[in-house]
Amino acid sequence: MALPDVTTYPLRLASPLAVFFTAFFAAPLVALLGLSLRGADGGYGLSQYAAFLGDGFSLGVLLGTLWLGLKVTAACLVLGLPLALVATRAGGWVRGVIILAVLTPLLTSVVIRTFAWIVILGRQGVINSLLSSLGLIETPLRMLYAEGGLVAALAQVQMPLMVLPLMTALARIDPSLWDASEALGAGRWRTFLRVTLPLCLPGLIAGSVLTFAAAISGFITQSLIGGGQMLFMPGYIYQQAIALQNWPFAAAMSVIFLVAVLAVVLAFNALGRLARGYAQT
Amino acid sequence: MLDRRTLLTTALSLGAMELFPGLSFAQARPLVFATFTGSWEEAHKAVLVPAFRKETNNAPIVLDPMLSVDQIAKVSAAKANPPIDVMLHDPGPALTALAQDLVEPFPVERSAAFKELIPDAQDPHGPAAFFQVVGLTYNPDTVKTPPTSWADLWRPEYKGRVGITNMNSTLGTGFMVEIAKMHGGSESNIDPAFKAMEKLKPNLSAVAANPGALATLFQQGQVDISPGNFNAIQILKAKGVPVEFVAPKEGAIAFKTLIQIVKNSPNRELAFKLIEAAISEPVQTRLMQAPYLVVPTNTKVKMTGEIARVLAKDTDDLKKKFVFQDWKTINAQRPAWIERFNREIKL
Repeated sequence: MALPDVTTYPLRLASPLAVFFTAFFAAPLVALLGLSLRGADGGYGLSQYAAFLGDGFSLGVLLGTLWLGLKVTAACLVLGLPLALVATRAGGWVRGVIILAVLTPLLTSVVIRTFAWIVILGRQGVINSLLSSLGLIETPLRMLYAEGGLVAALAQVQMPLMVLPLMTALARIDPSLWDASEALGAGRWRTFLRVTLPLCLPGLIAGSVLTFAAAISGFITQSLIGGGQMLFMPGYIYQQAIALQNWPFAAAMSVIFLVAVLAVVLAFNALGRLARGYAQT
Repeated sequence: MLDRRTLLTTALSLGAMELFPGLSFAQARPLVFATFTGSWEEAHKAVLVPAFRKETNNAPIVLDPMLSVDQIAKVSAAKANPPIDVMLHDPGPALTALAQDLVEPFPVERSAAFKELIPDAQDPHGPAAFFQVVGLTYNPDTVKTPPTSWADLWRPEYKGRVGITNMNSTLGTGFMVEIAKMHGGSESNIDPAFKAMEKLKPNLSAVAANPGALATLFQQGQVDISPGNFNAIQILKAKGVPVEFVAPKEGAIAFKTLIQIVKNSPNRELAFKLIEAAISEPVQTRLMQAPYLVVPTNTKVKMTGEIARVLAKDTDDLKKKFVFQDWKTINAQRPAWIERFNREIKL
């Protein structure tokens, strides 16, 4: 009798989770797909998809949402990578403080963090009062209910999703590699570009995908900071499904949004593979 | 014999019953009343529920507060065995519920309180339990002369200080209809309102996603004047936020909040009793008083306090000062309007 291979586990162990996912994720998704095929006249077809894809305004909302996600991801990357680098390289309490600072927001609800941004960005908020007391502006700047404010708020709210994977990836790099690179005559920038960046790519990609996904679906922050006239996909779907009870169209929008997001995530991954290939040559 | 297997089966089925109590007690569930969240729930818990219990010898009742649209979604997803017995709706969703055949007619002939209601509130598909009133809200610290008309929102001194909501909400839609009427339009001609919005843009500081978000903007000083719901403003006021409510001279917009029995409800008799209590004079009198300030629909209620001061002294005054809108016409076009608002109102 052949002994079971100790390095593999029977697939059965995954079955509880598989059942759970089938019942509460796959089945609803199939139902959603079915619903999206219902036409306005009650028949079945692709009319809801045609209505969305043939409409410049709706496509604009979709692209605007993806673009918002890219901007937030870029902001998180630019602000989060140095932080993660400092945290990994610093020892002792500095590292502890940074990790605590990154983790604390995760313990607060998104709603509360978003409300803090209303206080910061408002007409009589922290920034406007500061600028006007310094005499830099006469009338308050409109930052709340504007895209700049929204990107800043989303970037702060989603920052831990970027920093934590980056820190994990950076911590795995053998510090002697940095010493070796410098001993061989590479400057700091070259070391960063040729050693650090390629080695932390997996964390960077993971962080970017997480931040991107969270930013484009961040319904609460989008509606509280972006307001009622800046329309993004989550708010648009909510409007169609809840305010207008137009479930088939909302279902079609959800499916299109899902596909678009998957495409962007695949693009991130492809980019990662490409960059890795480049780094290894 | 009690072996491991039977023990496990018993434990599992007990667990399942605990997880899904509906499995075994589908028939004998308590009356479920889907009220609105926030202050409405508090008011109904404090006044309506005790009155209902007294009438029904302590019949079990559960308040399950949720938005109108969620009520419709839940009931239409399980038409044969609805999880809700009594729905509470703004006029738009009430018509939607009716159109989707989710409403049991109200047994008017058995009701004593129905005849006492203001004619506008006597809807045989479910009477109006109270009115929601929309007027102008302003911050008395920064707006020194109280506004008197919707047209005041367009005054140049409010540049960058006006807030509105989008048309997803009853408030936002009702406001647009009123603005259309002011400029020669009507429920079937919204064009003038969109033209007027174009001119309002320099004044707009915020287009909030919902009335709740709009109200918080007063707290932050983001807006100083906006259309607002009478009851929402009272809550802010009670919290010390500097806000005042005035009924504009064109008349305050009044929405009937309809209370309906759900079709196929297993608790129809109790549902009738709850609605009967909700439209009765004693309950509405108590709800009209502070801190609830719910605008009554029963003509026998004597208006006092803040409602008498700001809205109407009695039923006749109320009929004169309130503007009712034709939601049947509005509902038919609302999707197109919301779509148009999406496209045209960009700051």
